Amino acid sequence: MDVKFQNVTKLFGRTTVVDHLDLVIEDGELVVLLGPSGCGKTTTLRMLAGLEEATSGDIFIGDERVNDVPTRYRDIAMVFQNYALYPHMTIAENIAYPLKVRKVAKDQIDQRVKRVADSLEIAALLSRRPRELSGGERQRVALARAIIREPRVYLMDEPLSNLDAKLRVQMRGELKRLQHELGTTTIYVTHDQAEAMTLAHRVAIMRGGKLQQFDTPMNIYNQPANRFVAEFVGSPSMNFIEGDVDVASRSFVSDGLSIALPETRLPMLADLQRVTLGVRPENIEVSSTERAGWLNASVYVTEQMGNETFVFLTIGGDKVIARAPADFRAEMESRVWVQIDAGKALFFDSDSGEALRI
Amino acid sequence: MSEDVARNAAKLRRIDRERSRTTGRARLAIWSRYVLLIVAVLAAITPVYWMVTISLKSEIDQFAVPPRWIQFAPTLAHYYDSFLTRSFGQYLVTSITVAALSTICAVTIGTLAAYGLARFKLRANLDQRLSMWILSTRMFPPIVTAVPLFLMMRDVQLLNTLTSLVIVYTALNLPFVVWMMRGFFRELPRELEEAAMVDGDSRLGALVRVILPLVTPGLAATAVFCLIVSWNEFLLAVVLTQTDAAMTLPVGIAGRVTQYEIKWGVMSAAGVVAMIPIMVFAMAVQRYLVRGLSLGAVKG
Repeated sequence: MDVKFQNVTKLFGRTTVVDHLDLVIEDGELVVLLGPSGCGKTTTLRMLAGLEEATSGDIFIGDERVNDVPTRYRDIAMVFQNYALYPHMTIAENIAYPLKVRKVAKDQIDQRVKRVADSLEIAALLSRRPRELSGGERQRVALARAIIREPRVYLMDEPLSNLDAKLRVQMRGELKRLQHELGTTTIYVTHDQAEAMTLAHRVAIMRGGKLQQFDTPMNIYNQPANRFVAEFVGSPSMNFIEGDVDVASRSFVSDGLSIALPETRLPMLADLQRVTLGVRPENIEVSSTERAGWLNASVYVTEQMGNETFVFLTIGGDKVIARAPADFRAEMESRVWVQIDAGKALFFDSDSGEALRI
Repeated sequence: MSEDVARNAAKLRRIDRERSRTTGRARLAIWSRYVLLIVAVLAAITPVYWMVTISLKSEIDQFAVPPRWIQFAPTLAHYYDSFLTRSFGQYLVTSITVAALSTICAVTIGTLAAYGLARFKLRANLDQRLSMWILSTRMFPPIVTAVPLFLMMRDVQLLNTLTSLVIVYTALNLPFVVWMMRGFFRELPRELEEAAMVDGDSRLGALVRVILPLVTPGLAATAVFCLIVSWNEFLLAVVLTQTDAAMTLPVGIAGRVTQYEIKWGVMSAAGVVAMIPIMVFAMAVQRYLVRGLSLGAVKG
């Protein structure tokens, strides 16, 4: 079922938590709401669940306006960050709860609990209680409780954030697979950009209650709408260099460097003075031997990741991070030569932070 | 070399002596603790023992000097007297009825109120203020309310009825129930009810099926407390009831102190019987009681 937020605003007292949000989520889509804590993503999810009331605006599930529909009639399923398993019930009773309150026949409940438990590999835990389970097992039980019936929408509020790193990556894959198989519209809240990039069909990035960009992971990565999005997505983060456009020499000039600008970029930059250049670490090439026309830089520190090396550089007065091959070696403070791929660089309005489009 | 060995041995012996002295001190501490506990238990239990024996003693034995702690000819005459020839049986029934009904009312109403106060934020901090206001009704001595309550009950013609006592005891216990239960509810994560509601349950259903089972120990502790308060209450009962039909046990027992005589035997027999229901109930819910009173002390 598709989900629509139309001009939705939420105030807590005088604080605006969600600010005129417009979002249309297609049927069967997995959309991730991404943003730092306090950006309003969880509140957005809770408004859709009916656990918070929208101060103004309309929320639709399918064609039904659900603002005034109580939570229990919205026909949604939710996975909470702390799982919210019922401590006094066995795992089987926990999973069966949504069916029990709907007065489904006992034998049918048992059958469906068994089927769901089998598919999530928790059949052996059915007679235990939540406190006897590990974090990963509880996570699966919470999922089982959500998928035992066929709701219109799944809501997931940072479901993986309480798991350790290895398990998180594993569950991430399983969730993606599960959503693909079920084909049910899913809205997933996280502050982890890697989760957002790997899981989502489309990512909605929020900040301070405002939607920043709503697009596919690749578009968000390659064409961020503004500096905030560019910085939030990608690890290590995009580098930003403040500088001026020198139209005469067709170059970007900052304290310590000057980069020739490609022909295609000139028109949009021509009438601006102050701009911010953004370049991802993989678009900066580093060489420990001198190369003609490359920029001079000194190494601040290097981090070997095994499969690649992050090189922290000082170019004049600017600090940037570059991605180098695993075998790249350089002493601290040693001289290196770098090339910034101006064709792949992005430009932002220094005042508003908005991306400048060609 | 051998000097070193000797010196070491001497040092070890000294440490040993030191240690035995400290264990001696520790043992003394333990013993004195036991002595104190025994004194405390004796102080608590002696009056009860005295009451039980008096209820079983003939009048001559009751006043024997020196007191007869153990050797006396036991008799059930006082029990016969109080419960079969006098109206203590009726008082007992009244007490049980009033205590049970008022406890049920107070716990039901108070739990619902506490849930609301624990979970919903009202405008202008009204939820906090309401809670404080409810608590403040416990801040004056009950005797202050005796006369107004008497006048009110007279006006609605409820004097000398069980109804008046049930109403008054419910009101008396409500603030306590609200504050205890509010604390227990606040300990539970909101997500539990939220999950239940998302799963398709109503808020009341979530309260009954998810939240209440988790606060059962607290609920039991609260109920026991209400029961004890209602059971022991004397002051308001003596003001509001004067007839045999509506008198509770405490009032009935005190009524045996007359200007001509004090019926120690009858009073003790009634006292023993009055003690039993509470003891039985407390033992039955003891399992919950300990957990309930310490609920919230440690997050579980």
